[in-house]
Amino acid sequence: MELFVQSVISGVLLGGLYAAIGVGLSLVFGIMGLTNIAHGSLMILASFFVMILSQGIMGSVIPALLATLVIMAIIGAVMQGALINRVLDKGAEPALLVTFGFAIIIQNVLQLIFGADYKSIKNPLASVNVIDTKWAIVSGEYLVNFLVSVAVLLALHFLIRRTKLGRSIRAAASNVIAAELMGVNTKRTYIYAMCIALITGSVGGMLVGRTFGFYSYSGMSYLIIAFGVVVIGGMGSILGTLLGGVILGVSQLLGAYFFGPGVQVLVGYLTLLVILTLRPRGLLSNMTRK
Amino acid sequence: MLQTRSSDHAPMIAPGHRVFGIKIGSAAVVVIVLALLPLYASEYAVSVGILIFLYMSLGQMWNLLAGYSGLVSLGQQIFVGIGGYTLAMVTQAYQLSIALSFFIAAGISVVFAFIVSFPIFKMSGVYFTVGTWIVSEAMLVFFRNWEFVKYDAGYNITVAYRISMPALYLGSLAVGVGSVVLVFLILRSKLGLALMAIRDNEGAAETRGVRLYRTKLACFLISSVYTAITGVVLYLNITYVKPGAAFGIDWTVCMVFIAVIGGLGTIEGPIIGAVIYVILRQYLYNFPGISMIILGVVAVAIIMLAPAGIMGVLRNKFGFTFFSVGRQLPAGFGSIRKKAAGRRGRPS
Repeated sequence: MELFVQSVISGVLLGGLYAAIGVGLSLVFGIMGLTNIAHGSLMILASFFVMILSQGIMGSVIPALLATLVIMAIIGAVMQGALINRVLDKGAEPALLVTFGFAIIIQNVLQLIFGADYKSIKNPLASVNVIDTKWAIVSGEYLVNFLVSVAVLLALHFLIRRTKLGRSIRAAASNVIAAELMGVNTKRTYIYAMCIALITGSVGGMLVGRTFGFYSYSGMSYLIIAFGVVVIGGMGSILGTLLGGVILGVSQLLGAYFFGPGVQVLVGYLTLLVILTLRPRGLLSNMTRK
Repeated sequence: MLQTRSSDHAPMIAPGHRVFGIKIGSAAVVVIVLALLPLYASEYAVSVGILIFLYMSLGQMWNLLAGYSGLVSLGQQIFVGIGGYTLAMVTQAYQLSIALSFFIAAGISVVFAFIVSFPIFKMSGVYFTVGTWIVSEAMLVFFRNWEFVKYDAGYNITVAYRISMPALYLGSLAVGVGSVVLVFLILRSKLGLALMAIRDNEGAAETRGVRLYRTKLACFLISSVYTAITGVVLYLNITYVKPGAAFGIDWTVCMVFIAVIGGLGTIEGPIIGAVIYVILRQYLYNFPGISMIILGVVAVAIIMLAPAGIMGVLRNKFGFTFFSVGRQLPAGFGSIRKKAAGRRGRPS
């Protein structure tokens, strides 16, 4: 019973992190209908940046993260502006395949530079437990992950709902032509959206790097988690992302509790498929886009 | 999901029977010349040939799904894996013949594809894409935890050592040419008409009485079974099966590459794509480490420059097709159409 409660608590906390991983993917899909296959690899790229910078010149994680966010935003702007924007009008596949190509390029560049070894970002919180009772243990690390992720989601929600940029993003998402007529430069809005998506992804990458470790090919497995989260919650819904993350996290850890850790991931996938079968557009999807 | 190709290149009037006969004849000559390759070419050329034909088949089957019925799947590696594992179990665990494993692989994959189609076909567009990938990842995890297939250890397929290179080559040739013939016949059939209608405009096709679900399901089943059969031959060549490689996304990466480079929604596309992909990959073996990077850059560059692929460019610019799947219209149809157009066009 204690272990059950523990699994649920850890699952919820893990789910928060999953939401931070997935929200960028959801945002990009919701706004430009693009499935960004490179999302996971870009996230791991950010993990590598944080790792190098925090070991080297920056000295600690926070300034390294800030520098990484700037670098990733630039990468996002270049990628979107120079390549994806140009093929976006030609249907869904070309853009999807460009990001697919990116994913392969990033993975292999990382492999070339860093090899196939597992890396991690130094983490002082790794063995600190914030709450330690008979019923539940909450590790400081998981709690920080959860809080940071929720903060990212709230900030994004505020940005989309309350700012002028958010309004133009929503306009471009709901009707491109109407938005253009109202003076929104949709292509530029897409660039901003991609930058924001990569910034949230980079925060996710930093958290993942501190908690689980990563290597050059990790991107694809995190992409699946991101997909799972977003698909449960519904593409384009920020709140749905959090819900999706929590559902996926809890189902994985309960799967481990009932059937053993070996099938943890399998239970997560099966939960996903069941939800998708029952609600083929996700639980909270408000998107009409196909 | 697919862009509409309004200027469909399959010409309205099919070439006459004489032209068609010449094409069949020349295709037959090409196949015979290719079949005799082991007699005059080096062993290396033969081994490259094996890969080209097998990847051609994979690309052709992915193209049948994505290019014609709009089912962009990232999960076709499931069926390569089923093929490979069926071969391993049938020949290693049960010591039965290789021929039997083709039938069992086909049987398992048609049943599996049919069962999976219930949840998967509820999803559309990107949800379908993601759903298929998740199914294949679930299969990967399942096989890693399945005692029957020796968990993650995998199998050496020792019967494959006894197969000679020319025999394997002829098998691959049969599978590769078979895939082209199969897709050609499908497209010339009623099913093919429905598929091309769906490719061009799904909504309009449905309004005109095309049964979307049934057509797509037929396509999915055919593609899955043939991919599994190709998987058996692939693993006769690889001779070692392991969950991570058998159910890896890499299979689908190369199917996508082949179909897109060659041209989605064309029969010739995957043929050209497979030749380019295999030769490029063989050449890039000389540059270990950066080979995949170059492949990625080439893929991105081609999509940026020619989103319709090589065949798409040839067809749109020069009207070139080899495997014409267009149809002869009934006599007099043209004049009726002209009259109708004239009436409509008259100023009121």
